[in-house]
Amino acid sequence: MPEPTIKSRPVYARLSRDPGGRRHLLVADAPDAALRGLASETTIDDFDERWTIVSNSRAIPSPEAGAAEQSFRSVQHLLLALHRRLAEERMGLRLYAVGAEPFLWSVHAVADDFGMSRREIHLCAAAVAARRVFCNHCRTISEGVTRTIFACHGCKAPLLVRDHFSRRLNAFAGVQADAEAPGDLPDIEDLPETGDLHA
Amino acid sequence: MIQTEPLALRVRDVAPLSPTLKRVVLEAADGGPLPTTQPGAHLSLALPCEHGAHHNSYSIVSGCHDRAAYELIVRRTATSRGGSRFIHEALGIGRVLQSSAPNSQFSLQSRARRHLLIGGGVGITPLLSFLRELRGRGGHLEMHHFAGVAEVPVFEALLEPFASADVHVHAGRAGFDPLPLLERQPLGTHLYCCGPAVLMNIVQQGAIAAGWPPTSVHSESFAAAGGDPFVVRLARTGGEIAVGEHESMLEALENAGLPVPSLCRGGACGECLTAVLEGAPDHRDHVLSDGEKAEGRLVMPCVSRAKTPFLTLDL
Repeated sequence: MPEPTIKSRPVYARLSRDPGGRRHLLVADAPDAALRGLASETTIDDFDERWTIVSNSRAIPSPEAGAAEQSFRSVQHLLLALHRRLAEERMGLRLYAVGAEPFLWSVHAVADDFGMSRREIHLCAAAVAARRVFCNHCRTISEGVTRTIFACHGCKAPLLVRDHFSRRLNAFAGVQADAEAPGDLPDIEDLPETGDLHA
Repeated sequence: MIQTEPLALRVRDVAPLSPTLKRVVLEAADGGPLPTTQPGAHLSLALPCEHGAHHNSYSIVSGCHDRAAYELIVRRTATSRGGSRFIHEALGIGRVLQSSAPNSQFSLQSRARRHLLIGGGVGITPLLSFLRELRGRGGHLEMHHFAGVAEVPVFEALLEPFASADVHVHAGRAGFDPLPLLERQPLGTHLYCCGPAVLMNIVQQGAIAAGWPPTSVHSESFAAAGGDPFVVRLARTGGEIAVGEHESMLEALENAGLPVPSLCRGGACGECLTAVLEGAPDHRDHVLSDGEKAEGRLVMPCVSRAKTPFLTLDL
């Protein structure tokens, strides 16, 4: 049985332009993600720059710095560009990310490395069924987990997926379900969706 | 909040730096080691005056691992209520003063990737301890200090141990526009400002205009003391206490034998929070929210005063 939502779970909100910022960069993990994550009365043009992952090998970011629209092939492709960009950025930037929870916290980790504070980063999580789960026993991160109990992709331990999300590891905690009584396993259940932005 | 026993400090040395600035070196009266401090920490010294004592807060400028002595720099103010005048005119070597333990409301941010220090006049004192710490650990910084033309050499001498291309002393702040300076700071910079209210206001306005989040802007003001006299009425213990033009409400309460727990005495920590039953407080602290200030049911007597002739406190 999945535990009820616990207090440490991140809270997300639909995105709107932060009036305190001077430059606004929105990153989205899919072409339609950004539109779905906007607060009412917010339009895509409220963000000076929109970076989108299009999952297409032909995507080439514009060489023009500060172009309003940029397309990227993959999460890694976008994160590398974000790293280069933030290294050059000045105070006054606000960063917005919309998409699946693992994408948000990958973006957050880059921003955090550059000293951006919670007040400068805004996240909106799209609802997705799959979770990243960190194995507390072998430290493997299993991708695409939709059920608890599941076999760890590293050590094969039957893992119970806790509702505890680690921002640092960008994953839910997984603990061996039969640690106390080997072989005594609870029923397998579907995990509820994470994120709070339903299509 | 950590609160340790008060300290008895003996003046080891007191020497003028300029006609209105004095360096004061204090050691433990019992000859033992002093508590360690943090960069940005201050002492609240009890300075004798006609009616009892003024409690003035001064930043410690010596290194935080120096347990033999604390060093302060004190400006004699034109509107001195007696505290800085006492230090400038009467304080001699060997004199023992009562002091709070070092206390810090203004500290270096551990997550900052870069530190921007902006000071004015004697507001250099907490920034000196930040500089010492940052130089020690090789932190990225930029400092701009503003001083009257006559005092530029004094501040240059104070900054000499830390002198480098990233430390600047400016003669006067006429024409200083903080906006370009704030706009060109890399992500992850934290700003620390200490100086006259005018300087802190333009820097804070500049930070807002440049899109800095409030959590990256830190400032320490000199306690706003003095104002129109008023009377405090004590609801529980009965009686009235007059608060004079040149004393704080907290000092008036203390000198009347009604000590209110306090720490920073500068409207920053919230320790002296007191409930108001009647009258309108004139809020000067940085603790209460705008909503709480508007409501007027709470007051910080260390800095705040009254808009009404009487203020009834739940004391």
